[in-house]
Amino acid sequence: MSIVKEFTKGLWAEIPPFRFVLGLCPTLAVTKSVETGIGMGLMLTFVLVFSNILISLLRKIIPPSVRIACFIVVIATFVVIVELVSQAYAYPLYQKLGIFIPLIVVNCIVLGRAEAFASKNGVVASIADGLGMGIGYTISLTVLAAIRELFGAGTLYGIKIMGPSFEPFTFMVSAPGAFVCLGLILCTMNLFGKAKDM
Amino acid sequence: MSDYLLMAVSAIFVNNILLAQYLGNCPFVGVSKKMDTAAGMAGGVVFVLTLAGVITWTIDFFLLRHFDLVYLRTIVFILVIAALVQFVETFLKKMVPPLYKGLGIFLPLITTNCAIFGVCIINVRKDFNFMETLVFSVTSAIGFGLALVIMAGLRERMATARIPKIMEGTAVTMITAGFMALSFFGFLGMA
Amino acid sequence: MVDAFVFLLILGAIAAVILGFSAIVFYVYEDPKIAEVEECLPGANCGGCGYAGCSACAAAIVAGEASPGSCVAGGPGVVQAVAAVMGMEVEAAETKQAFLTCTGGIRAETKYNYSGIRDCRALSLLYRGDKKCEVACLGQGTCVRNCLFNALTMSENNLPLVDLELCTGCGTCENVCPTGAIKVRRDSEKIMHFNRLDDRLAPCQQTCPAQIDIPRYIDHIKHGRYEEAVLTIKERNPFLLSCGRVCPHPCEDACRRALADDPVSINQLKRFVADYEMNTGKHLPVSVAPDNGHKVAVIGGGPGGLSCAYFLRRLGYSVTIFEMQPKLGGMLYYGIPEYRLPKKILEWEIQGILDLGIEARVNIKFGLDFDLESLVAAGYKAVFMAIGAWKYKSAGMEKEEVGGVEGATIFLERQGLGIPNPVGKKVGVIGGGNTAMDCLRTSLRLGAEKVFLIYRRSKTEMPANPEEIEACQDEGVEAILLSAPGRIVEENGKLTQLEYIKMELGEPDESGRRRPIPIKGSETLLPLDNLILAIGQYSDLSFMETNRRVKDIEKTKWNSIAIDADTNQTAIPYVFAGGDAGYGGPGILVEAIGDARKAARSIHLFITGEDMNFPEGRLKPKEHIPGTIFDSISGIEKKGRIKLSQLDPKTRIHTMEEVDLTITEEEALKEANRCMNCCLTCYDKDIKEAS
Repeated sequence: MSIVKEFTKGLWAEIPPFRFVLGLCPTLAVTKSVETGIGMGLMLTFVLVFSNILISLLRKIIPPSVRIACFIVVIATFVVIVELVSQAYAYPLYQKLGIFIPLIVVNCIVLGRAEAFASKNGVVASIADGLGMGIGYTISLTVLAAIRELFGAGTLYGIKIMGPSFEPFTFMVSAPGAFVCLGLILCTMNLFGKAKDM
Repeated sequence: MSDYLLMAVSAIFVNNILLAQYLGNCPFVGVSKKMDTAAGMAGGVVFVLTLAGVITWTIDFFLLRHFDLVYLRTIVFILVIAALVQFVETFLKKMVPPLYKGLGIFLPLITTNCAIFGVCIINVRKDFNFMETLVFSVTSAIGFGLALVIMAGLRERMATARIPKIMEGTAVTMITAGFMALSFFGFLGMA
Repeated sequence: MVDAFVFLLILGAIAAVILGFSAIVFYVYEDPKIAEVEECLPGANCGGCGYAGCSACAAAIVAGEASPGSCVAGGPGVVQAVAAVMGMEVEAAETKQAFLTCTGGIRAETKYNYSGIRDCRALSLLYRGDKKCEVACLGQGTCVRNCLFNALTMSENNLPLVDLELCTGCGTCENVCPTGAIKVRRDSEKIMHFNRLDDRLAPCQQTCPAQIDIPRYIDHIKHGRYEEAVLTIKERNPFLLSCGRVCPHPCEDACRRALADDPVSINQLKRFVADYEMNTGKHLPVSVAPDNGHKVAVIGGGPGGLSCAYFLRRLGYSVTIFEMQPKLGGMLYYGIPEYRLPKKILEWEIQGILDLGIEARVNIKFGLDFDLESLVAAGYKAVFMAIGAWKYKSAGMEKEEVGGVEGATIFLERQGLGIPNPVGKKVGVIGGGNTAMDCLRTSLRLGAEKVFLIYRRSKTEMPANPEEIEACQDEGVEAILLSAPGRIVEENGKLTQLEYIKMELGEPDESGRRRPIPIKGSETLLPLDNLILAIGQYSDLSFMETNRRVKDIEKTKWNSIAIDADTNQTAIPYVFAGGDAGYGGPGILVEAIGDARKAARSIHLFITGEDMNFPEGRLKPKEHIPGTIFDSISGIEKKGRIKLSQLDPKTRIHTMEEVDLTITEEEALKEANRCMNCCLTCYDKDIKEAS
């Protein structure tokens, strides 16, 4: 029961970054298209789950005074793995995401879950938490990316949706569009209850 | 010289690290509620980013590339930044207590600031030389500080505004940031 | 693979070595307690404590700059955990709470119609708000919206209401309020506050020498919250039972209701709630700040000394009272007769004050049993001298020392001590104050058949309470007004007659009263057995005639202790004086209480090393905030005040039983509802005017 709960809270109740306003930079940067959005989400899920596992396993060994440094090293290791794997097997995606792959290291969601959850809970619960948060993040990015891609380029996952007469609303794929679009989604989320304010 | 000037203008205004490069958004939302904390954070970022940019570039240029260990960048950089921030915090606490009181309390926040890490990565990915690294790091940090302080000013004004219930909090901050980004877009004409 | 491993290892080692070295080289000692305390704190970093985050607050607590109860978000659990780390017990740690100082709301007059952004700060930018009163609550609810703990709601009068259960005292509301109508204070901060020109004060509160928040406690009574009313009074006055009985209530003279019918019986309402507390049998607990480790000595256990001890105790001091008489209470005990203030009631009231943790030592006289040197040696940081005024003034006649002639203080003191106090058949009392009335009425109760009041002006100039003068008349006192004593006629060293001379009133003197002028040839002889002089008192300052430190204290021309009028400090920095012994000489009870709080404030600031002077903008005693005293008011229905119930004059003069009776609850509610809940300029109208 509680495992299910740990998993599902990341999907709605604490879905990042809409409710749990963390990890905004990639949210804004990689949601120009659904492809990059999903890619980023999956990479983050991978890092989140595995760093959660390792930190949960090591939680009794890591001395509290240097815990943050240890967490960062663990996270960085998995980020390097993701970086190398994507470079080898998904080079176009690797190129599109650019510096935002190494930046997963400093994504507050990963460190936040490590500090707030994995360092205090068992492995199974940590996996559920990491998976839930990761998938929730992927969903959020996909939704945001879908809106931006649809209006900004008239396509979804590269497939043309809008008719030929559609004039792409390029504002949506630019930086201001990203901020406004995220702001409006947060408004919508507020309709269902207030987000955890930072 | 004019190259550096152009780079500075570009980093501060046109390609503002916060508003155009999407880096450092967490502190942008988190510590922009009050002007004095925003100013403290901005100062801290300028300080740390300059140091971190230069040090990571040096390590990358002389060690990682030399030993063909470029794939370790991520882990090495974050380690160096974390150690650097920790060192600066200890150093300031002892040697310059007033500065520590002003900036020091933001240092732990800076470790996980993607603006720092991001700029360090950009420096080496774009194959900047030492001077370019220095200029780009400083000006990016200034751009970050500028956007943060402007945002804090806006949010202090917004505190008195009547904001629709559903837009309160982060939502309206993001939308405001969007309009700020739009106005920073206007600098494109300068470059 | 291997080189990567080696590289990371070397890098990690270098980082570790540098950090390790810097931790030693740049080591700053930090009490391990700080980390422990921080562990207890909630980690919300809300800033409500006034420090930059929880770690800074923890450091301040460990450094002793902040109390373990500083954390506003934590609640009692956190306080206890922190206190446990610090190794101290916190009994009644003071909490900060928000309270509204404005009572205006929708009844306050407006300058213009506003329909802009619903935010007080925005509204205040426009001609300082839409209310005519510049310090009024603007009522747009900015504080309500900004409260992090949902402790504020908007009342129907458009004023924010504080839910004290939810309020954490974080101070957000005070910060966002542009007019300062809502404040967040600790109780000790309230004790230290004195009326200011920018406060929102009704005329009665401006007039009360003790600055009691009268409209607030009457409002509590109106709503049946008697305990809150008691606590409101106790914020400024620990002697509510006594004051409710003997106070000449200058506040009622300023009552705005008097412009329509009669002033509200403020003092009777005070007495009603004071008696309510006493009848419950338990002293309502008042907050006491955590002990701060400083000792203060109070010389004199009268109302001034006890009040000062009470306020200092509430500020966290250890106070010892030294009293020369066997009983505490000073003039309340030894001056005011039983029928006005029963000793049992007074003792109960004083016990409540002592129960806060004040030590009292009786039968010990300053200058004889101890002096300033011994107090300093015993570790007292400051001394408050409230030695009262126990010497009586002479009437300037010859042979005042003959048998049968004595001072009022001596006559009344004997009564207080319980020593037999026989009087003859005919007793004369010179004077027109409350002390004279006390002597007259006491003499009657002691068996005198004929009692004469000899006063050189007319009845309207008498300084005594009108109620007292009336009671004297009811009890059959014969008033010989406009008459000055001239000569004592004695026989065998005993008084037989008093010769007095008739007077007429001339031009007003500096006190505003018309100066009496003798009428030549109007001398009259009055046969008397006893003559009591009740024309004034002054302090016994004989202890100054010594070579010890106390000789440095200066005297005034009225034979009182010279003090700074604002700080109550004497010529010796650590010695303060007040009450009847202070600057202006004897006054009324409520003045002594107000003076004692002022002295307590000065002593606190003196010990903590802060500036004792009042900041700019203080409302000086006997002054009023401009524009708050009206000539007339409108919209008030004439109701008339409640009648006072008393024992029958015919029978009461044979007993010492208390004469004035407490009003009933029904009467109290009726009277409380006459209060118009005034503030600076606004007040509740009974009749709604068509607008």
